[in-house]
Order: sequence, then C-alpha cells, then structure tokens
Amino acid sequence: MTDAKTLAYINLFGILGALENLCELDEEAQELLKGKKPISIGIEVKGGPSATLTFKNSRCRMEEGCRKDCDVKLPFSSCEKFNGLIDGTVTPIPSKGFIHIPFLLKQFTGLTDILTKYLRASEEDLKDEVFFEKSTKLMFYLITVAISQIANNDEIGKFSAHYVPDGIIEVAIKDSVSATLRVEDHHFVTIKQKPQSYRSQMQFGSIKLARDLFDGNVNSLACIGDGSIEMHGQINMIDNVNRILDRVALYLA
Amino acid sequence: MSFPTYNTDKSTELFARATKVIPSGVYGHLGPAEGQFIPVNKWPRFSEKAEGSYFWDVDGNKYIDYMCAYGPNVLGYCDPDVDAAAIAQIKLGNCTTSPSKIMIDCAELLVDTVNCADWAFFAKNGNDVTQAAIMTARAHTHRKKIIFFNGFYHGVSPMVQKIDYPGVLPEDVANAIYVNWDDIDGLKQAIEENKGEIAGLIAQPYNHGNFNDNSISSKEFWQQVRKLCDDNGIILIIDDVRAGFRLDLAGSDHYFGFKADLICFCKALANGYNMSALCGQEFLKSTVSGLSYTGSYWMSAVPFAACIATINKLKALDAPKLFLEKGTALTQGLVKAGKEHGFDLIASGAPALFYLRIANDNSLLLHQDWVAECVNRGVFFTSHHNHFINASLSDEDINRTIEIAEEAFKVVAKNHPEIF
Repeated sequence: MTDAKTLAYINLFGILGALENLCELDEEAQELLKGKKPISIGIEVKGGPSATLTFKNSRCRMEEGCRKDCDVKLPFSSCEKFNGLIDGTVTPIPSKGFIHIPFLLKQFTGLTDILTKYLRASEEDLKDEVFFEKSTKLMFYLITVAISQIANNDEIGKFSAHYVPDGIIEVAIKDSVSATLRVEDHHFVTIKQKPQSYRSQMQFGSIKLARDLFDGNVNSLACIGDGSIEMHGQINMIDNVNRILDRVALYLA
Repeated sequence: MSFPTYNTDKSTELFARATKVIPSGVYGHLGPAEGQFIPVNKWPRFSEKAEGSYFWDVDGNKYIDYMCAYGPNVLGYCDPDVDAAAIAQIKLGNCTTSPSKIMIDCAELLVDTVNCADWAFFAKNGNDVTQAAIMTARAHTHRKKIIFFNGFYHGVSPMVQKIDYPGVLPEDVANAIYVNWDDIDGLKQAIEENKGEIAGLIAQPYNHGNFNDNSISSKEFWQQVRKLCDDNGIILIIDDVRAGFRLDLAGSDHYFGFKADLICFCKALANGYNMSALCGQEFLKSTVSGLSYTGSYWMSAVPFAACIATINKLKALDAPKLFLEKGTALTQGLVKAGKEHGFDLIASGAPALFYLRIANDNSLLLHQDWVAECVNRGVFFTSHHNHFINASLSDEDINRTIEIAEEAFKVVAKNHPEIF
C-alpha cells in the first residue's frame, strides 16, 4: 500500500530535508560543520526526486533540483536504490566530487547519524527534555514535508488532495513550531515556517501531545473531540490533510 | 435584549469520563470531532432531556435545536401521539420471534404514501438500506459498478466510503464511479465509458453535502438522469435518508418530478424510534426477496407503531408545507439580521433543511465564530452541516433564534474590528 517513488520523495525532502532543521537546532551538528568550507551535494534519483543540499556556516539549506555546479553529485539509478541509502543498505557512489569523499564519510554521515538518533529516538533518550523537544520538532518538520510529498505522489494521497481547495493550511504545535502547507490546484508545497495568514489551521495543544500523535499513542479525532487539537477555518482542508496524515504513518513506519 | 452565555463544565467533565471507556468519547456525527464543534467548549456534549424543539444539556442549558438529532426529530421530541403509539405497542411486544402484524400495517402505509413504493423492506439505520439498495441493483442487473455524485454521503459501509478512509480497501471502492452534480455530459461520458457495467446510480435528491452551499437540482436534470438510467438499464436509487418526508411525503423523487426505482428512508420515519426502510418498484421486489440481508432488531414492533403515528401526523399537519414556511421565515430572518450587522449570511438548500454560511471571508472563520456564539446562547446550529426544521418549532422559537443570532453577529463583529 506504499510505493517506492513516494517514499523516495519523503526520504529526500522529508528525511534529508530535516538536516536543515537539525543544523539549526542541534549544537553537535553545528560542531561537525564548524570551520568547513561551503559544500553542496546534489542528489539525483532516476525516475524520482532531485535536490541539492548546501552546507555553509554550520547551516544546511536544501533546494529542489540537482544543481549543475554542485560540488558532489550522488546519482541513484532508481527510487529503490535511493531508499536503500536511507535504510542503510546502499552505499552511494559519487559521480562527481571525489575529493569531497572525506566530507561525505565524516560530516555528512555524522549528520545523518545524529538525525537518525532524533528521528528514531530511544525511550531512554526521550526522557531528556531538551532531546525530547528537538526530536519532536524534527519529527514535526519531517511529517509536514511528508504530507506534501504524499499529496503530490501517492495515488491515494492524490485522491485526498483532490478534495482540498486552494489556500494556506497552518499546521502548528502551540507555543512551538509551525509549518505552512500551500495548496494550489491540489498540489501541495510545505514551507517550514509560520504563514502570515491561513485559510485553515490545525494546532496541537502541546509538544507532548504532538509526540503522542506522531508515535501513534493517541488519535487525532479523539484529540479534536477533547479540544487538545484545535482546528479552525476551512475544515475540509484539514479533514483531507488528516487522511493524508494517516498515510504518513504508513510510509514512516 | 441580552442573552446569557452558557457554561458547559459538566459536559466537559462527562466527556473526559466517556473518553476512558468509549472511543473518541462521542464518536461519529454526534461527536465534537465529526460534528465540528469549534471551539469544543462552546458546545454541549451530552443531553439531559428533550421536548418539542428543545433539548437541555447536562449543565441545565436549554437549546432550540436545529439539528433535530441530525434529522430524526421531525415532529418534536417526545411527541405525545408518537410516544403513546410506541408505549401501547411495547405493552403488546417489541422484539419477538414472529414479527408483529403491525409490520404489515407500516409497509401498507408506506406503499400508500410513497409514490414509487410498491413494497417496503425494513432495517434500522440509513446505511442498512443504502447498502441494501446497492446490493439490489447489483443482484438485479448482474453488474458491478455504481455511480455516485461527488459530495455524496450514503452511509458508512466500505462500498460507500472513499478510498482514503481508514479501514477502506481499494478493492472496496474499485467499482465506484464519481460524477459531478448537475453534470449531465459527465454522466453521459461515465455511462459510455462503462457501457453495460453499471448496476446503479445512487444520489441524494439534491446536493446537500457539507462545506459548500447546498444546491437544488432542477426537475430537468432529474428527467435526464432518469432517462439515461432507463436507456442503459441502470437502477436509479434515491437516498432520501436525510431529506425524506421533509420535502414531500410521497418521497423527494416525487418532489422533483420523477420516479425512483429504489428509495431509502430513515431519519424522519418514526420521530426518533429506530428504523429505516427501503422502498421500491414492483419489478425489484423479487430481487430484494433473494438478498441474504437481515438484522436482529429489524422487525421490532415498537418503531413500526411509532412510524405509523409519525406518518399519519405528518400528513395531518401537511408537514412539508409547514417546514417550508418555518424554514423560510427563519432563514430570511437570519439573513436580514446578518445584513444589518455587515454579515453576508447565505442560506442555501431547501428551507426545511437549510444550510448556512457566512461569506465575508473564504476561511469560514467568521462563520465558525458566529455559530459558536449562537450555540453558547441557546441556539443549536452546527458549523458545516445542513440543519433541520421540525413541526413543533413555533414562531416564538424562530423569533428568539433570530434575536440570539443578532446578538451573536454583534459579538463577532466586535471581536473582529479588522473587518467590521
């Protein structure tokens, strides 16, 4: 009930895209990049997504499309191969930028290891309040990006997206992070920042609740019922996003 | 006049208790999530008692109820005539091994009342009969596919849900064809593309879906649909679960000037006593006889007694005319009150089942605020569902509703100085 292409889009823009947020939130990640020259890594998946990650000043930025002038290029012959990179079953071979292999082996791998620690967090790690908050924020960004990827690529996700009218949906954790889902002609784009205004809004009451939702410990309908999730505005947008959200869990399981 | 705002603390307390033992506390359309109570704390979640057009919540707040239990309250809660008939029957027996003969009386009354009915098949919920109707169409035609008009709601069985709903498999909806309302060309194309494969077309009598202004289909549209079904051997099913008996006691197909092959009733049948009915034309009776389709309580006698009393009273009152008059007076009053305070309130659909939307903004935020302020002062509306008129609604209730709505408009306007 999932497909490799959608998963590749989630893995690239959701998982590797979360490196942007990791570098903002985590000192260990920043430390890894400290003093390093700017470097860009292009990823191109045949029959799937492509993007460029640029590391500069201890920060990371992702842009859509594999830039021609990237320093390192990682081509993948299929979505399955690229998904293997994320699973740890495939070792990437650069087609360009061999001199930067040390960066790939040390910094890039180091960053993805830290990211994995946060995204596949152990119960023990989550007992630490600071870790818990960072981990949940990173999950939040991953999930909000995955919503758009599923809406645009997955067959059932596209069915749900077909019922979403144009406009801005704000997804937020109260007193914490916020993301924008911009919908135009049923095509979704996630922007990892708070919108200026919205047509509909879904707000999780606390970071603890968001975590419980992400971990599948509570159900969103039940939370809407008890008011711990608030929704406002054009509810049919949120209603359909919630259906897509069900599929996020399937892809990230 | 100023109306005090309500406190719903006891409802909140009970809801917390409910969530421990009942999934979602109150699941489905009566619950705060599907019912879209925005914000939740402005709405009651449990009732204490009901009478006529009102119910009282567990905090003692009284509401003029325009949801009517989402339709079943058609004569007024605890209608004395219906309850007396039900009580008389319960003394004789209810759920018995051999069904009561009152079932025949009930079927005969439906056949006499509903224009397209040559027989009646009884069940409990709307979903029971919409599913029976689809199965009948498939059994009769030996075909698989069913046409739905977008924005539909025909119950909860997987075959009438959508592919992205939890627990629904792609296989469950593989034979569903979706067409837009009032799109005759689209319908013709769908029929052409699936020639000889379509068993039935199921539709509400008009587009009374949620989130959008409801639109009444024309008689010409239905004439064309009827002809396309006839020409292509497609069984035409009208899902009159929501609108049934509020537009026309002979069925909403009769109201729109055509004759359905099958028609599904539930909500307004028995003024809250639990039953539904599938009625249809003679040529489908033997097909229905052959269905393997039954339920433990489907032939219980008390609802039949209530149904007979309800239909007879609806006839005596000329209820559809009453609903039209009351619904028109109410919606015109609400729209006028809105206009006076700068709100573009749109009332759409049949006045008996009016749908409301404030159109000043495209986010529905103002609408949600206004509905919440109305509810919090004793007028039970929902944000994005059509409403229902019941026969006990008085002119005084309508006037009070408009007064409360007016105060709610003032409150919302005051809360939104950036707009008003």
